[in-house]
Amino acid sequence: MSLALVVGVLVAGGTFLVLQRGMVRIAFGFVLLGHAANLVLLSAGGAARRGEPLLSIADLATAADPLPQAFVLTAIVIAFAITIYMLTLAGAGEGDDDTEDRR
Amino acid sequence: MVLPLVLGLLVLVAVAAPVLDRFVGRAAGWLLAVIFLALGAVLAVEAPRIITHDEEIEYSAPWMPAIDVLFDFRLDGTGLLFVILVLGVGALIMGYSARYFSRGKHGDYYFLMALFAAAMFGLVVADDVVLLFVFWELTTVCSFFLIGRTGHSANQPAIRTLLLTVAGGLALLGAVITMIVHIGTSRLSVILADPAWQEDPAFATTTGVLVIIAAFTKSAQFPFHYWLPDAMAASTPVSAYLHAAAMVKAGIYLLMRFSPALADNITWNVLLIGVGLLTAIMAALFALQRHDLKELLAYSTVSQLGFLVAVIGIGTPGALAAAGVHTLAHALFKATLFMLVGVIDREVGSRDIRRLTGLRRVMPITAGLAALSALSMAGVPPLLGFISKEKLFASYLEAPGPAVVGPLVGAAAVVGAILTFAYSFRIVYGAFGGPTTQTRLREPSLVFLLPAAVSSIAGLVLGFFAGWLDPLIDRVVLDTRGTPGEIHLGLWHGVAPELYMSVVTIAVGVVLFLRREFIDRLLDRRLFPVTGVQVFERCHAAAITFGARVAGLTRTFSPARHLAVPFVVLAAFGAGALLTGVRVPPFPEPVTRPMDWLLMALVAGGTVGIVLTRSRLAGLALLGVIGFVIALFFFILGAPDVGLTQLLVEVLTVVVAVLVLRRLPKSFHSTGALRKSVAAGVALLAGGAAAVGTFAFTGRREISGAGEYFLREAKEETGGTNVVNTILVDFRALDTLGELTVLGLAGVVILAVLEVNGLMRGDSSPQAARYIGTPIGSPAGNMILARTVGRWLAPVLVVLSLYLLVRGHGEPGGGFIAALVGGAGFALAYLSASSAEAAPIRWPYVGLIASGVGVATLVGVLGFGDGGFLRPLHADIPLFGGGHYHFSTALVFDIGVYLAVIGVTVTALNRLGVEDVPPGTETGNRRSDPAGTVAAEPGEPGEPDSRYEATEPLPGSGGRR
Repeated sequence: MSLALVVGVLVAGGTFLVLQRGMVRIAFGFVLLGHAANLVLLSAGGAARRGEPLLSIADLATAADPLPQAFVLTAIVIAFAITIYMLTLAGAGEGDDDTEDRR
Repeated sequence: MVLPLVLGLLVLVAVAAPVLDRFVGRAAGWLLAVIFLALGAVLAVEAPRIITHDEEIEYSAPWMPAIDVLFDFRLDGTGLLFVILVLGVGALIMGYSARYFSRGKHGDYYFLMALFAAAMFGLVVADDVVLLFVFWELTTVCSFFLIGRTGHSANQPAIRTLLLTVAGGLALLGAVITMIVHIGTSRLSVILADPAWQEDPAFATTTGVLVIIAAFTKSAQFPFHYWLPDAMAASTPVSAYLHAAAMVKAGIYLLMRFSPALADNITWNVLLIGVGLLTAIMAALFALQRHDLKELLAYSTVSQLGFLVAVIGIGTPGALAAAGVHTLAHALFKATLFMLVGVIDREVGSRDIRRLTGLRRVMPITAGLAALSALSMAGVPPLLGFISKEKLFASYLEAPGPAVVGPLVGAAAVVGAILTFAYSFRIVYGAFGGPTTQTRLREPSLVFLLPAAVSSIAGLVLGFFAGWLDPLIDRVVLDTRGTPGEIHLGLWHGVAPELYMSVVTIAVGVVLFLRREFIDRLLDRRLFPVTGVQVFERCHAAAITFGARVAGLTRTFSPARHLAVPFVVLAAFGAGALLTGVRVPPFPEPVTRPMDWLLMALVAGGTVGIVLTRSRLAGLALLGVIGFVIALFFFILGAPDVGLTQLLVEVLTVVVAVLVLRRLPKSFHSTGALRKSVAAGVALLAGGAAAVGTFAFTGRREISGAGEYFLREAKEETGGTNVVNTILVDFRALDTLGELTVLGLAGVVILAVLEVNGLMRGDSSPQAARYIGTPIGSPAGNMILARTVGRWLAPVLVVLSLYLLVRGHGEPGGGFIAALVGGAGFALAYLSASSAEAAPIRWPYVGLIASGVGVATLVGVLGFGDGGFLRPLHADIPLFGGGHYHFSTALVFDIGVYLAVIGVTVTALNRLGVEDVPPGTETGNRRSDPAGTVAAEPGEPGEPDSRYEATEPLPGSGGRR
């Protein structure tokens, strides 16, 4: 329930931001949407099991599903690359990051 | 084994050709000719086995075992016939090239020609339809580049040729897939022997038509005939080899190959005979209209290919024998004629028969050789062309169907042959007949003429000793019709119908030649309202217009309009699910903990703030807050690696964003109320759908089978105890490699964007002027604290990052986290630097990214040693004093990850952190303050004030700003 609500809040906020004019806001919106997607993935692994999947200390009965974690780890880094790319686009305009300026 | 050996050597020769060219120049052609002949000799050793003992040389090696596609090679008589063309004519053309081209570099030419020979060889020995298709396309690609390399004027012809032949290639692909699906194997010899061709007419006709389309495009049959004259933009040796002797014969080869399966199919017969003869007559008429010798020869080739297509359509053993003989005869006389036209072009400087006249007196040998070949083409005894034309005539009379068809087809063929006779004489008379005006011309060197002489005289010798070809042609008939041909080639067959046809042909042809001025006047008009090239260009332009129109429907400059679509769809899905109702299982255990609500409240607060704020800086701060809370969430969900990564990524995101934000206005754009409310509406609907969806569809089951497997087996399989890391670098390393590539590309794209656009000016706000003379206005003084801390902290961060890298397999850490810690170290160094010049990290960051992806890929390739790409190799290294260290190549893979992530981070820091450079500023040139705002505070003693000096030039700085 808590995870679902966080996802809802993040998607709502992210959606609002990506529908704005400025590239920076769009980039921020994508960051929030990325958080939401990552939480959905972890939630799909099951939020009931919350033990660390470290075999040196883990109790296999309660260890969290490691596969979604691996997905999310990869996803975070890709999202980082996309974010700095979008920020670069925002910074490479002609004095502004407006996406709807048709001079 | 001999087949892949020859093929491999041909590829090797292609690769080595540019090197040869560098050392010996154009004479590399002679070397290649010798190599081609040597390879031919290797195969000639095996040839008797094929021809007389009805055996085949076969070779098979796995290629794609999962779908049963093999490197299957098979050389039978038909293949041998075409191999003779590829290597034999190939050797002649290579020798010819050594004199045709001027001195200089022709490495790319020899590379492409040898590669083409390899592709063509592969095509005719491939016994797997997928392999056949690959070689088929490779010949197309070689042809494209060989036409295109001639120069600017050849670009359009090259593209037209490529598009058309690729379209034909798609038809062949269609046929290949149909056959594999229907018959269940990709092996050509098995497919052709399958009874389905007879039992399932629908399949046979469909596949047959696809094969025919492929062959017609390649062999320039109506309505695709126009590309071949168009392709004459290529240099003459290319035309002689690809567009006369070898590549255009690929279509003929394909039709002969499929003859055993399709010769009894009525559609096959009608299409091949009808289109073939139509093309033969039409192209011969076109040839009579042309004045450019090369263009004339191109139409002549189209016409001759038409005769071949038609005779394959007849499908009797005699017809296939005729096709085999004529293929050989045509290659000999047409290659000769092309080579000699090239000689004339080089010596006289023209190919136009209106300007050439009387060359027989100054170039008697050239004239003799050309006449010999033209007579062969015209079908005059005692040349090989006469024998093959008689075989063609005899075969046309055997055309299937009602009794009237045979004579009709025969009559049409005679008409085509008469026209052929006429244009053959037109070539010889046009260039060599008439009064001699250019008396100062000389015969070219005999070395230049040698290759043409060989093929020309071969046509004469084989005319007298045609019996030598009997066994080979017999074998071709056996391959293509399944019965021995009982073929006896010779000049005299007694008084038979084909003899009368030849007599008529020659008699009427002579009349046409004598009345040539009348014929010229008659044909000096357009026979068709449009040319093939015009039709093609119109279709091409229409396709592009259509595409632009379709794309125009969604074209807008506003990203919001694109971005809204998926969210509206998401909301619609949610609404649909609510309306229909979904039954979901209950949660196995409670999934919510009290701590969650606290984090939930923090995220909600941050999100509301970031949505409402107008200040960019506040927005960034709130983004950071949300990111840190999410990282905490990952920790309490039992994902320490993910949490660490998130934390570090958040830090770096904020650093990069700050570098960009300082160049932008302080507040976000204001938007109208309508837009706000629409965006809010879409956002609330999408958020609601996401929340409901997440609640309903996730977490309602026990741990996944895959997750359980990884937990159980990770230690045993990989030696690592950090299961998430083992998944990243062991179990699913291919995903990680893909991700690295994306990451690296993002770094490269950042560079590209900044190189094209440059970076906008910094926000030189007037407030800054207030701080002149205070420590805040002095970057050097301002940064003392950060610099002092950074000096101590940076090495710690580097060591920590290396430690995290090494321990990642067992404990939280690994390449990503380690690199992000290292990146944070660089960020610190960057932010605490006193001046722009002191800041940049002078590392070749593109090299870092590339080496990261490269190292990871190399490790992956090492994995082949243990059975598969990216499979980690393990070794236990004993340590001093007992114990051992478990080494896995997965660690090296992780180092690749580390390098790539560091590279991208440093790229972003360096490129976005660079100071403003006005257009055209040279590196290091001191310049005055652009806006006159922030006065340059003299730096500390010993620290040059280089605040405004560019540390490295922005490559785009001279361009648009």
